[in-house]
Amino acid sequence: MNNTGAGKLYHYKSGNDAARKSYYRRLFRRFIRLTLLCSLIPLLLVGWGINVHYTRFAKDRMMLAFRSKVENHRKIIELFLKNRVSGLQLIAKTHTRDYLTNVSNLDYVFEMLNREYGSITDLGVIDQSGRHLAYIGPYDLMDKNYSKAFWFKEVMNKGVYISDMFMGFRKVPHFIVAVIRSENANKWILRATIDTDSFRSLVENVRIGKTGEVYLLNRAGVYQTSPRFKGKIMEKAPEPVGEPHEGIEIRIEDKGTKYGDSPSPRRIIASTWLLQPQWKLVIRQNYSEAFNDVSHANLAALVFLLLSAGAIVVVAVFITSRMIKMIKERDLEAERLNKQLMQAGKLAAVGELSAGVAHEINNPLAIILTERQILLDMVNRKPIPDRDFMDQFNKSMSQIDNQIQRCKRITQNLLRFSRRTKSVIEPVNINQFLSEIINLMEREARSSGIKFLTDFDENLPPVLSDPSQLQQVFLNMITNAIDAHEGKPYGSIRVITRYFPQKKGVEIVFGDTGCGIPEENLDRIFDPFFSTKPVGKGTGLGLSICYSTIKRLGGDISVRSEVGTGSEFTIFLPSEPPGDLIKEFEGDSEQSTAAFDY
Amino acid sequence: MLGAKILLVDDEVTFTENMAKLLNARGYRVTTANSGDEAIRMLEKENFDVVVLDLKMPGMDGLTTLKEIKKLDLFTETLILTGHGSIDSALEAVKLGAYDYLTKPCEIDELVAKIEGAWAKKDEEVKKDIEGKIQKVVESPSSVFDVFPREKK
Repeated sequence: MNNTGAGKLYHYKSGNDAARKSYYRRLFRRFIRLTLLCSLIPLLLVGWGINVHYTRFAKDRMMLAFRSKVENHRKIIELFLKNRVSGLQLIAKTHTRDYLTNVSNLDYVFEMLNREYGSITDLGVIDQSGRHLAYIGPYDLMDKNYSKAFWFKEVMNKGVYISDMFMGFRKVPHFIVAVIRSENANKWILRATIDTDSFRSLVENVRIGKTGEVYLLNRAGVYQTSPRFKGKIMEKAPEPVGEPHEGIEIRIEDKGTKYGDSPSPRRIIASTWLLQPQWKLVIRQNYSEAFNDVSHANLAALVFLLLSAGAIVVVAVFITSRMIKMIKERDLEAERLNKQLMQAGKLAAVGELSAGVAHEINNPLAIILTERQILLDMVNRKPIPDRDFMDQFNKSMSQIDNQIQRCKRITQNLLRFSRRTKSVIEPVNINQFLSEIINLMEREARSSGIKFLTDFDENLPPVLSDPSQLQQVFLNMITNAIDAHEGKPYGSIRVITRYFPQKKGVEIVFGDTGCGIPEENLDRIFDPFFSTKPVGKGTGLGLSICYSTIKRLGGDISVRSEVGTGSEFTIFLPSEPPGDLIKEFEGDSEQSTAAFDY
Repeated sequence: MLGAKILLVDDEVTFTENMAKLLNARGYRVTTANSGDEAIRMLEKENFDVVVLDLKMPGMDGLTTLKEIKKLDLFTETLILTGHGSIDSALEAVKLGAYDYLTKPCEIDELVAKIEGAWAKKDEEVKKDIEGKIQKVVESPSSVFDVFPREKK
């Protein structure tokens, strides 16, 4: 019966352990989730907010920078062209046709112009029918008639004209600036060819980063300067050129927008239109390069964010596992205390019960005893001649007495277990005390073939405790040790004492080579009425009395055992008993010095 | 010579009857009472040499009864009967002035021995008291009326 009970207890315990483990795991996960939720979400929100705002800010700045770049370039180009036009106009207005038709005069003007403005390739005076009146320049163009040329008509209409790039008679890209002069009824034209190289270098030499380029387009979408990368002057640009407008247009062209042959990367494009001639100035740069700094900053922020998140995770896991460990320890401690409390409660309940039972049984026992005595008295007074009857009578009477004595012992044990005697506290020399008890028990032990081995700590200090209660405990320990050898021809009992200054107490070990205690019983040996001895041999109270006695004296008792090898009981006794016990004792001795021993 | 006059107090009627028989057979004059109240009433009426008092009784328990007896200020010695477990209260009873205690169940011989002891003590007390009184009277004869007041009829 005991075994099945213990087995159930064991299974219940292991099931409980698994449940508890999963409980701690759940707790761990919940803590981690909560911690991460509470720390990562704000972090990510802040990171995201900063990123969005910073990106917008940086983008605006970049756009502004592009805008001013385009503006500046337009101004430079316009200034260049205006210079040329005003130079020509000045010449035309201050000189007569007759003067300029003289080649040496024209040459002088040409020299002067080039010295002042530079980058003029040739200079010609043309009458209203399109014929050259005079020409200075590297080409032989005197016999050319321009009456059919497109610019001729334009300049005749508008007075000032700047042409698009064209190949013309010379078969090299160039453009011309022409102004008209009305002298009396005659109109004549002063025309200059602008050195395309110097003009183009003005635009083409601008380098913006690795992918930035600047170029000009005319209204038909033909390159007026060679772009830095793809395309050449006089070629048709792949992208649509759009309508002329005022102001500056900035747009971001998505990746993969196809113009002609290959898809382009994502680009930022800023453009503006010149007034005269109607050319479109375009500045173009790859988006990724333009926003390199922004993406760098964003990347750094992202890395920092990830590192922070990682650190938070690590710290959260670390702290949570520490916390769970602490909780586990607390739980274990609480459980241990609970167990102790339960044991104490059990002892108290059993104590009360047994005291009641013992009292109730004592009364009928007393009556039986008196009845027996009455019978004995009567027989003594009037002896009965029947000898057989007398023999049986005497035998029965002594048997009744025996059984009453036995009952008395049991009730006394029960009462001793439950009672709360006041302790007598005095210094006890444990070594000497044990020696006396061992001397007392040696004969009984020797008859069972058991030897005593003692290993006493010489430096054991005296312990303040209750000698009579200690005596009972030690006697019980030794009696149990002897009983454990039942069925074995020989054995030994080790009694060891040790002093533990740091624990402020002594340890007394009773080791035997007896039968040992099965593991399932180890939890219960201190329970009252738990006994493995045959019925009538033991009340099962010995160890529980020892347990409650030692606990009351502020000590502790523990057991290790192996079936077949033996058991070892270790009793710890503090050098001084707990304060309340001393107080109780002192309070008692004030009233009476009568020490009471049972 | 007559044996001591004993008042036996226990709530168990059978026990008191049996005990009375046993003690009577041994030459004592035994009166029984089955509660504390009854015992006090009897003590008020009659003198006893020894009171054998059970501690555990319903109603007025042994200790209270003992205190009441002490209040009566008699030359009676009290012997306490107790279960083993209530030795603390037995000791308290001794402190309160009981002669001694015995654990229940007890052998008749043990009880008789204790009764004899108690009786002897009682006699001695009485003797001491009388001697003291005589001494007083010898020293100051006029105090004879204080020492031996006239008994009220």
